[in-house]
Amino acid sequence: MPHIDLKRTLWIGALASIFALSLAACGRGESNVAAGNREAVMHYGNGTEPQALDPHVMTGSPDVNIAMAIFEGLVTRHPDTMALVPGSAERWEISDDGKTYTFYINPKARWSNGDKLTAEDFAWSLRRSLHPDMGNQLAYVLFPIVGARDYANGKNRDPESLAIVVLNELTLQIKLDNPDPYFLGTMSVYATYPVHRATLEAHGKATDRYTPWTKVENFVGNGPFTLHEWKLNRRLVVTRSETYWDKDKVKLNAVVFHPVESETAEEKMFRAGQLHFTAQVPLSKIPAYKAMENSPYRQRKWQGTYFLQLNTNSPPLDNQLVRKALALATDRKKIINTVLRQTEIPNSVMVPAGTPEYRSPSSLAYDPEQARALMAEAGYPDGAGWPGMEFIFNTSENHRKIAVVLQQMWKDELNIDITLANQEWKVFLDTLNEGDYDLSRMGWIADSLNPATFLNIFTTDNGINRTGFSNARYDEIMLDLVPPTADQGERNALMQEAEAILLEAAPVIPLYTYNSKHLVQPSVKGATPNVLDIQNFKFISLNPDAPVWKDGGQ
Amino acid sequence: MTTDVISDITEAEQGSSLWHDAWLRLRKNKMALFGGITLLLFVIIAILTPLIAPYSYETQNLDLGATPPSAAHWLGTDIFGRDLLTQVMYGGRISLAVGFVATSVALVIGITWGAIAGYVGGRVDAVMMRLVDILYALPFMIFIVLLMVVFGRNVLLLFLAIGAVEWLTMARIMRSQVQQLRQQEFVEAAISLGLPPHTIIRRHLIPNALGPIIVYTTLTIPSVMLLEAFLSFLGLGIQPPQTSWGLLISYGAETMEEFPWLLIFPGLALTLTLFSLNFLGDGLRDALDVRRSKD
Repeated sequence: MPHIDLKRTLWIGALASIFALSLAACGRGESNVAAGNREAVMHYGNGTEPQALDPHVMTGSPDVNIAMAIFEGLVTRHPDTMALVPGSAERWEISDDGKTYTFYINPKARWSNGDKLTAEDFAWSLRRSLHPDMGNQLAYVLFPIVGARDYANGKNRDPESLAIVVLNELTLQIKLDNPDPYFLGTMSVYATYPVHRATLEAHGKATDRYTPWTKVENFVGNGPFTLHEWKLNRRLVVTRSETYWDKDKVKLNAVVFHPVESETAEEKMFRAGQLHFTAQVPLSKIPAYKAMENSPYRQRKWQGTYFLQLNTNSPPLDNQLVRKALALATDRKKIINTVLRQTEIPNSVMVPAGTPEYRSPSSLAYDPEQARALMAEAGYPDGAGWPGMEFIFNTSENHRKIAVVLQQMWKDELNIDITLANQEWKVFLDTLNEGDYDLSRMGWIADSLNPATFLNIFTTDNGINRTGFSNARYDEIMLDLVPPTADQGERNALMQEAEAILLEAAPVIPLYTYNSKHLVQPSVKGATPNVLDIQNFKFISLNPDAPVWKDGGQ
Repeated sequence: MTTDVISDITEAEQGSSLWHDAWLRLRKNKMALFGGITLLLFVIIAILTPLIAPYSYETQNLDLGATPPSAAHWLGTDIFGRDLLTQVMYGGRISLAVGFVATSVALVIGITWGAIAGYVGGRVDAVMMRLVDILYALPFMIFIVLLMVVFGRNVLLLFLAIGAVEWLTMARIMRSQVQQLRQQEFVEAAISLGLPPHTIIRRHLIPNALGPIIVYTTLTIPSVMLLEAFLSFLGLGIQPPQTSWGLLISYGAETMEEFPWLLIFPGLALTLTLFSLNFLGDGLRDALDVRRSKD
């Protein structure tokens, strides 16, 4: 017998009206973006919660975005031109042989606690960044420095063996083994950022990876902003540094980093006027955004390659014919034009198309006829006798889509079956590092425009090379011949030879060049999309008169 | 001679009253009947899917892409251009199988375990129930992940693994029911008549505890279906091109604003199944209530 529980009904009614009232209050309240535009506070969608704020520990892009605000390297990049402009060094000299770099630190440069920034700070920090106990995954970017490789590998524990010399209080000299036209750019990368020695040593051993020195109350940095508030999983706020040497140029009062892991949630926040800038855009929303007038959507070529890596020790992929057949049976354009909705750029070579001053050799284009011929030659005519293999990918909607399409594409063209398996990111990396896989997806994103970044990772002993690919000539070119070659033309010829060897052996099947994708409020100035997809908050400003982009415009 | 008479009586009573009465009562319950028929229909469709599915579930038509329902594709197509009706039908096979198999595993283990613990009592009960407590304390995800890692990915194993973690609550419910019933005269009578414990458990205790068990079963099936979707999403369950309702829903949810039909139809199939299960469960509980039949 149904009966109405009066008390309960009243309760529900009361709750509902409170809820409605609070909603209405939200509606009347000012959005983050409107308030931020007025107060010069930028709300930045930053993907996940940062893992580390120590620039010699971090690797994830959420961490790096924050580091770009609270630290500064000797040089920094202008977001519009990607040109290297003075950071903490007011000027620098490069010797004629290209091997000696002398940096003159800006005498006005200060730490956020008011201490003077000195050449010794940089020298100490670079040594720390390379220290074997730090386990800094990015230490390799400093390997052009004399002695750096041996020091980082623990072969030579003497910090004096590094050619990082303090000439006087404000002058730092670095010597390289070989001339490296990309080294100046390296000095803008977070692994070269200085850390405050006294603060680190007050909170533990300098080479400990995680000590409380990065807590808000302890933190000392040298960037245009300094750490102000960090609420776990809520927000991280940096405010304009009063001690920064160029503080008059800094236009934002604060940047609020919002850790929003779900891209769908992030897009909703953007639409509600809660974010100025999103870390990503859900694929399914992109066509609608592209079609809009005055669209907030920004897409730009990004210096990164999405590729498949094939375990050359695992049958049937130990057969080069099979690997080449798979590469030839891969219709990149179809994948990108259909499931990826033209949001990426098809690419069948390792180095992204359009890398300055470099042209990749010709590659294995889509050719199913030849693919079938190769499979027959390898002993699997029309897929007969195919032993099967597994394609693993880290859990993500886009990776799954690509895997599902490839599975069917290869089934249609070559009549072979592959199974799919997704794994959580850390498990996925473990599986790859143990070489316990057949085929997987991988991405590589560069922090400079150096084409060698994409080829160095496939030398025999490189930790990123999980394919088992090993070629003596390739190693010779990338490790011994390219580094000492100063002439750009000669370097490129060598690298083209190496890339051709790589593509012919086919331990990798490149699929596309990445595009960076963001939603940006109309009020944001100076956050130009760029090929390295970095934001330099120093150059960003907010137009207080610009409208707030919300659902369907305004 | 005497034992023969007794068994004759019990058999006669069982055959005529409990199940027959239950069926008569169930037939009067329209909602339960509707639930039962819907479920039966779904199961038949699931079994016949390979014969009646309009398209192949793995063949893609990338150029077609996602299209809304049409004459050629009654429920539309997904982003790979695959027929959604076929996907839902094949997904139903996995979801229903997981629901029924895993729940049956949970039922068998849970009822046996709980009934023995409750009936025997004392030290045996203490040990058995502490074991349940320990398993409860284990995070079930880790347990399933461990099982999958040790024995490898396999759909049947997935069913068993889910069943193996879902039986704990069932065991507790059964034990408390049996403990209660044990004090009642008809059980004491059965004991004094010299019936062996397994007969008492089977003939007297389980039928009397059926109500709560059926209710809990109808709750377990949907939760098992959702668990499967969750595991598959983590890469521990079934993998493409195989699919299940849970997976279809989780994919559909990601594109629901653009391609709503990819969420609506699999969602509808799952909702209908869950409603049917609940109606049927409600009806069965009322129908099988032994105490009511005695009045």
